[in-house]
Amino acid sequence: MATTLTARHERLLRGAANAERLAPERQRFYWRMLMPALAVLFAVTVAPTLFLLVTSLTPLDLTKPETTADFRTPLRNFALLLEDRRFLNSLWVQAKLSFWTVSLQLLIGLGFALLLHLRSSLLQALRTVFLIPMVLPPIVVAIIWKVIYTPDISPFHWAMQAIGLPMPALITDADWALTAIIIADTWEWFPFTMLMILAALQMMPEEHVDAARVDGANAWQLTWYVTLPYLRGVLLVAALFRLIDSIKAFPLIYILTDGGPGSLTEVTNYYGFIQAFNFSFLGYSSAITVVLVAITLLLSWLTLRLVGWGRYVE
Amino acid sequence: MSSRAFAYRAAAERRLLYALVIVLAILVMLPFIWLVLMSFKTNDDIFAFPPKLLFVPTLANYAGLWASSFRYSFLNSAVVSVSSTLLALLVGVPGAYALSRIALKHDKPLSLIILASRMAPPIAFTIPYFLAYRWLGLLDTRIGLILIYLTFNVSLVVWLMRSFFDACPRSLEEAAWVDGASLWQGFTRIILPLSGPGVAATAILCFVYSWNDFFFALILTRNQAMTSPVAVVNFMNYEGWEWGKIAAGGTMVMLPVLIFSVLVRKYLIHGMMTGAVKG
Repeated sequence: MATTLTARHERLLRGAANAERLAPERQRFYWRMLMPALAVLFAVTVAPTLFLLVTSLTPLDLTKPETTADFRTPLRNFALLLEDRRFLNSLWVQAKLSFWTVSLQLLIGLGFALLLHLRSSLLQALRTVFLIPMVLPPIVVAIIWKVIYTPDISPFHWAMQAIGLPMPALITDADWALTAIIIADTWEWFPFTMLMILAALQMMPEEHVDAARVDGANAWQLTWYVTLPYLRGVLLVAALFRLIDSIKAFPLIYILTDGGPGSLTEVTNYYGFIQAFNFSFLGYSSAITVVLVAITLLLSWLTLRLVGWGRYVE
Repeated sequence: MSSRAFAYRAAAERRLLYALVIVLAILVMLPFIWLVLMSFKTNDDIFAFPPKLLFVPTLANYAGLWASSFRYSFLNSAVVSVSSTLLALLVGVPGAYALSRIALKHDKPLSLIILASRMAPPIAFTIPYFLAYRWLGLLDTRIGLILIYLTFNVSLVVWLMRSFFDACPRSLEEAAWVDGASLWQGFTRIILPLSGPGVAATAILCFVYSWNDFFFALILTRNQAMTSPVAVVNFMNYEGWEWGKIAAGGTMVMLPVLIFSVLVRKYLIHGMMTGAVKG
């Protein structure tokens, strides 16, 4: 549509008529723009997931080419999973890890958010500092904690020894290994819950607080009866996000404990990795991963229901 | 209580709060600061007992690192992250615009795909990609990594940019159409220039996500296309425990991410919650 220099009102009239007539054309135009994105999204995410579902039905073992497309016993992997002690153990380790990291991140995040929720330039600057653990590359977080947990070079071990409480090397100690991972993971991700809570606090209606103040509430009462009930929703969403993310825990475990000692810190994700890329049982590992993806989808769906599918909720 | 006494107490409380927050901040940052300090220490200083707070800084670790093959992996990281980001923007930005303007009746499945692709454990994509790449000869290539990073980058672009476009009033491009612009011009000449900051923030987030990836690169590369997070870890496994180099490598890997994150801190949480929050 070339713009020509006709009388302005004539052009406007024609343009308006055009815009009306073009509504279906516009719809087609949007679809043409949307299609490449949808096609790529489908090709890079949905198709591989379907492929994963297919391989989970085979006994695929990279060292045995004949197992590639063997669909004679499609559900065998899943039947094996139910009896695989190591798999069941990995689910239990995952449950413990998720429970503790999510709980601690919510508590510490909430604590810090309440502390930092004041209008002051110092606290604003500190907020940026608290971002650091969360934005660091996960592998760097793992290296940082490897240093802290290695007695030879660790300031932590030195400090504990200095105050007369020498600690065992936490990541190789059966009683401490999972706790060590939980501490590192909590450090990495409490800023996430903190920031979400801070964002919610900033949108808290002033009237609520003012009304409670007028009624003579003190700071503790204000927090307990006004702020916390207001934060319930955001706490739930933050918890779900961290819960889903905790299923992905990999670099920390890979660097710190390698799933050990024994399989005390071997979460399901990690077990799947070992089956696939240490033992080359890709079929079996696919089945493990399908279980994880199913859990992820379920939790994602739950999250979306809670927040109203993203865009239609205010 | 007189108002002066009250004001005095409030000021004292505030100072106490500041002191508490600063102490906590230092405590939280200590592990991170320690790694950075370590990267400037000689091997003797690293193993010094008690640990040295004051030491003569050295750049030897960085020099040694740069002389090794680490610099190729650093280049790989940069090329792969930038390419994947550009590709995702190319596909995702028009899609996001269309999604923002179109009357889509059933967009719940799309929301679920976008959220789930950000949430799925990386191994879910790694197994099928690994098998496909083995067949296609894309293992240990930059192209392989660029493609697999699209799994999270496209969703990220579509979701973030849609919320930016939602915030651009439709009357803007409608006015342009009335003036005779084509539908495509309305997008490229009117809306896109207005969304510059949004595109920049989205690009940075995509870059950071790609740069930070460890799992995909660990599985899908050996040496040709190895990225720097994997290369740093290799200092642990094969060449003995070179703590100085590990610390220097870690510091170099995190440097671009830290700079970029401060630039886009406003959008960080939004990006991390891709798929589940309204823009």
